[in-house]
Amino acid sequence: MPEFDLWLSIIGLTFATIAARAGMLVFRRMSPGATVERALRYAPACALAAIVGPELVFSHGAVEPDHLKLWAGAAATLCFVLTRNLFATLAAGMAMFTALRLWLT
Amino acid sequence: MKFWSSEAAAAQFGRGFADLMPAAAGVAAWGLVTGVAMMQSGLGMLPAVVMTLLVYAGSAQLAALPLIASGSPVSLVVLTALVVNLRFVIYALALRRDMEGLNLARRLWYGYLIGDIGFVIYMTRRERDGEFAHRHEYYLGGAACNWLFWQVGSLMGIVAANWVPLDWGLELAGTLALLGLLVPMCAQRPVLAGSLGAAAVAIAAHGLPMRLGLVAGTIAGVVIAMAVGANFNRGTRA
Repeated sequence: MPEFDLWLSIIGLTFATIAARAGMLVFRRMSPGATVERALRYAPACALAAIVGPELVFSHGAVEPDHLKLWAGAAATLCFVLTRNLFATLAAGMAMFTALRLWLT
Repeated sequence: MKFWSSEAAAAQFGRGFADLMPAAAGVAAWGLVTGVAMMQSGLGMLPAVVMTLLVYAGSAQLAALPLIASGSPVSLVVLTALVVNLRFVIYALALRRDMEGLNLARRLWYGYLIGDIGFVIYMTRRERDGEFAHRHEYYLGGAACNWLFWQVGSLMGIVAANWVPLDWGLELAGTLALLGLLVPMCAQRPVLAGSLGAAAVAIAAHGLPMRLGLVAGTIAGVVIAMAVGANFNRGTRA
């Protein structure tokens, strides 16, 4: 990404933080309807899944040949469900990724 | 000029800070991962430092990184961050009644500092103790603790990333951290269905230009979640 776009992105991301967190505190009378509020509850998880899913499957634009990242994601998910500990989750995922990478190459 | 209106206000700030301390290590670790991920996705030192200090939103930053790295349009980067941040709109709506009397600058400032953990801790105390005195200071104490440990962790990650070889694939840790945020959300059935749908559509539509697969996946996920949620509610009522 060009330098200019990068700085523009950082300004835009700062705006995204302020708008999402402070917007409803600043515009005190604004109220989303019940339907929109339900959509708001679901949107963040769906956006995260739409980012994480392809990130785990693809590498440099193509399906990752040995699915290292997918296995790492599976190990991390299992670990999180069992321990509820973010630290252990990252460790398990990275351990799986590294073990497979060293074993397969 | 005294910073705090009273000793009691200062004490509530301290209590808010202390109540967040058990989570501080986790906040710092999360910041560390974000700091490393920023550097490993090719951001320079200065943009990474400015990003952590200004944006101050781990999940939005981690979500934006692959898009920035692949040269996606700025509008898509910002839109993605906005959608990931939508949970904060819910938090802000819940905090609204408590922030009503504050002036505009404070509402902006307090809102900017809303975080996942701080919100949960504040609301827990708010529900237990009602409209307790100096609750704004209590809120700010927790926010200050979160901010401090986040920034220390993140800056450490930015510096440490220089010594981590690229082929360790540590940017994957950023993706795994997002997974750690996503999985607990999936305890609700509509969210689980929506997330699976969103991931499937995003993977299938990965070839679309400008990462439109991300947009398509998110919209499909929300539609699925709302459909499942509506059926689910009807089912439990019957």
